[in-house]
Amino acid sequence: MLEDHRHCDDLFAAAEQSAGDGDLVAARLAFGQFRDAVLRHFTGEEATLFPAFEERTGMRMGPTQVMRMEHEQMRALMDAAVDALESGKTEDFLGQADSLLITMQQHNMKEENVLYPMCDQQLGDAAGALVERLRSELEAA
Amino acid sequence: MQALLSFEQSPPLAAPLRFFLSAPLFVVLAGVLLVVDGGALLGSRWSPATLAATHLLTIGFMLQVMLGALIQILPVVAGANLARPALVAALVHPAINLGALAMAAGFLFAEARWLQLAAALLGLGLAVFLGVAGRAVFRVPSTSPSIRGLKLALLALAATVGSGLFMLLVLAGGWPVALPGLANLHAGWGLAGWAGVLLAAVAYVVVPMFQLTPGYPARPAWWFPPATLAALLLSTLAVVVDAGWLNLIGRLLLALVALAFIAQTLKLQVGRRRARPDATFRYWQLGLGATLAALLMLIVETLLPAGVVLPAEWTVLLGVLVLVGGFLPFIIGMLYKIVPFLLWFDLQHRSLPGKAVPAMNKLLDEPRMRGQLHSFFVAFALSTVSVAAPAWLAIPAGLALIVAGAWLAHNLLRAVLRHRDFRRAGETAKMPA
Repeated sequence: MLEDHRHCDDLFAAAEQSAGDGDLVAARLAFGQFRDAVLRHFTGEEATLFPAFEERTGMRMGPTQVMRMEHEQMRALMDAAVDALESGKTEDFLGQADSLLITMQQHNMKEENVLYPMCDQQLGDAAGALVERLRSELEAA
Repeated sequence: MQALLSFEQSPPLAAPLRFFLSAPLFVVLAGVLLVVDGGALLGSRWSPATLAATHLLTIGFMLQVMLGALIQILPVVAGANLARPALVAALVHPAINLGALAMAAGFLFAEARWLQLAAALLGLGLAVFLGVAGRAVFRVPSTSPSIRGLKLALLALAATVGSGLFMLLVLAGGWPVALPGLANLHAGWGLAGWAGVLLAAVAYVVVPMFQLTPGYPARPAWWFPPATLAALLLSTLAVVVDAGWLNLIGRLLLALVALAFIAQTLKLQVGRRRARPDATFRYWQLGLGATLAALLMLIVETLLPAGVVLPAEWTVLLGVLVLVGGFLPFIIGMLYKIVPFLLWFDLQHRSLPGKAVPAMNKLLDEPRMRGQLHSFFVAFALSTVSVAAPAWLAIPAGLALIVAGAWLAHNLLRAVLRHRDFRRAGETAKMPA
């Protein structure tokens, strides 16, 4: 999951770079790829990892709920960024991208420093099967 | 654990912001001193104007921003929740501001009462901060290099405050104590132990985050903070037992450790995946370059054979490089990320679910930051050169510093006012028609 965060970072940087250079076609393409990768990542967490964690710990309103909420925020930010790109407003896109980047980074930091270690700890025995499922979900599409 | 993840645990917006908004005014005041008393200021590190200007920058600007930022980031970076952050901010903020002003006045007018007032205000304010922050941070296990760095930085701040208070009382009371050795230690603990280690602890998190660089390698990151404090302890011991060779080892070790950190950061920035150089990135480049130059000067100074006397301007130049060229740029660069983000994050939290809020560049846009950045570059260049020709350049350098400080204050204030407008607009939108 951690590597997938880095993968999304790379796609994001590529989109921002193209938009900064004024190449909107390339930026749309790269941002599309970025958005797809992020949405797959969210789905993997929301459909597989979080329920497994909630099942095991009984914490339904805890950290996973906060993470779901932040996923929603990022979905809205990505939509706004796509709108800006579609209508050719480069400055607006770069502004949305900046906000998105920070939200994404601090979200990743929480997941990587707190939630993933908790998952590793709580789901240790079931980890093998779970990782396989997540992997196939991330690679699908 | 859950506290770490939730917005509700963030301190109120006003707690850090009040520090960030008043800090730039001290850059303006330092500029005014340079205009009014530039000749004395640039001629010796011991002149009253130099001591006053140094502390306007170190306490009024650097310490002030760092305290505000810590109130904000301790819960996020270390999971250490401060008790009653709003109250802490309300007590510490006026104490730091008035304390820094009283100290500058005390130095300038050689007035014992002002120095005593400064000692009381700063001593009490920082005791409150150190007590609250220390209690929160030292309860958290050091699971990351950042957390270890934060703990050691707080210890170094305590050493800086202690030595500073002692010197203030010596000056105010006219006691017969030789201060230069102690003043060097005070500067070392403050700049390297507190500001430098804190900067590193924060850089471990924010450099990869904002520039999409690879992370700092773990082993050096764990070792940098304790190695810095070890070097400072050696120098301190050297002053206590009066052993010049030990002091030399301490200073060399300090310079090498800091050089390693700078080199590492430069290397990471080369490997960054985000190619767009924004104002923060430019500020960091200036900070890294100027600090590098200052460290090389420190090494040369330490290795000079005994008997070689450097001109008084040497140390002044070193100070200008470290403060105006190094720490100020690092801190302003961070302010340009932290302030828009905090304001935006607050809007985001207040907005209706699914409704997009104005992006960060609607609060503070890149051209404004870049304009201020250029004015600061001019101020830095003029201050540096003015050490060689104070009669000609002190006034232009001071004016440039005033412009850069006022522009920073304007940019930050404007972002806060725009946040207020957006917030009001959002609240009206929420009301039923």
